[in-house]
Amino acid sequence: MSATPRSFPQLPRTPDVLDELLHSLSQPLTSLLCSLELSLEQVAERQHESVAAALQQTERVVGMVRLMQEYLDAGQPGPEPCPEARARAMRCVIDDVIEELSSIAAVRRVRLLLAGTCSVRLPVAESRLRLALQYLIAPMIEAQPAEGKVMLLLGEGPAGTVLRGEGERRSRDLPGATSTVCRVKLAIARRVFESAGASLVLDDGDFEGFVLSIPRSN
Amino acid sequence: MRILIVEDDAALASFIRKGLEAEYHAVDVASEGNQGRSMAMEFDYDLVVLDLNLPGLDGLSVLRSLRQRKANLPVMILTARSRVEDRVQCLDSGADDYLVKPFSYLELSARARALLRRSHLPSESVLTVRDLSLDRVERKVARAGRHIELTTKEFALLEYLMRNAGRRLTRAMIIEHVWNLTFDSTTNVVDVYINYLRRKVDDGFSPSLIHTVRGVGYQMNSEGASV
Repeated sequence: MSATPRSFPQLPRTPDVLDELLHSLSQPLTSLLCSLELSLEQVAERQHESVAAALQQTERVVGMVRLMQEYLDAGQPGPEPCPEARARAMRCVIDDVIEELSSIAAVRRVRLLLAGTCSVRLPVAESRLRLALQYLIAPMIEAQPAEGKVMLLLGEGPAGTVLRGEGERRSRDLPGATSTVCRVKLAIARRVFESAGASLVLDDGDFEGFVLSIPRSN
Repeated sequence: MRILIVEDDAALASFIRKGLEAEYHAVDVASEGNQGRSMAMEFDYDLVVLDLNLPGLDGLSVLRSLRQRKANLPVMILTARSRVEDRVQCLDSGADDYLVKPFSYLELSARARALLRRSHLPSESVLTVRDLSLDRVERKVARAGRHIELTTKEFALLEYLMRNAGRRLTRAMIIEHVWNLTFDSTTNVVDVYINYLRRKVDDGFSPSLIHTVRGVGYQMNSEGASV
């Protein structure tokens, strides 16, 4: 008996499937998180530790779900009508991110320095650009031992703008920069920059530095 | 305050309701868009918490419809869509705030409080909790009349704690609001800065105002708060 060809509804693309799954997952996860937060106040002392531990684990799952959402969002073409002319100067956004990260660096006794300038504007939503820069620079801070230094060098040439990040030293004992979460964050950063026409090269698999190249637009 | 929750997920609506009722709000729940719109139009609510993905009439249509008749009613949107353009669309349609699922109840509670405060009270330039005062305009902090020198980040952290006095704040909420960064559980920056603040704001004074909430984060003592 031969099978009769039948027409199936068109299957969604992989990103859409993931988007739908995340959407479905976020609902019960919110209920779980809210439930645990509200329970923490009401449970008896002997149960407090178990509920607190469950809450922490749930928060980790929430963190992973948010990362997955960010990864999918970063790959979306044209995040919003944000033409280059209207975008905020890259240098200003870098300054903002460095200001926020500098307190984290100070706590770890790592020096965070920026040199050079640029006038380039990336046609990408500022919130997304901030996120990408955070995910690019924060792991370098985490990878530095105390008294280490992270240098960011901005430069403009005929081909375009380059932002180079270099860690002075790297402690192989610090797992932060090589964790799965860190790699996903770097992947998010790469997707955001590539969506704006830039390219990101990481120095090696262990993440000692990076080169972000933004070609001159015509 | 009277709050309307329009959310089709019964479990989630129930948790939010319980939480808000525990904070002495009167809470109604609608599980469908048309029902939510009718209730919001008919009764006087101080805040509407509105899910976007609703059966019947979708959340955005409910919002647009509300804005035609009740322009000043604060509306907080709940949604699983996190993209920038989704946020822009919601805010352009008249939402006052926007919370992406999965979210923390504590975050929802803090934002609801901010919206309720914004709609009922003029923004105050000086926040006070007991004998601690923070002048947002002059950028000055004093406790029991004694001036306290704070760095920019310490000032921002103290302002966030005082604005939410009496509320539990998670480390994620603090880092997202004060540092404007995505929370990363590997960083202990919040704990370190809380310690800096304690040394300046609590050491040598009584009672201590900044408390650790085991398993959650931190909370500022709310007794005597005027924020």
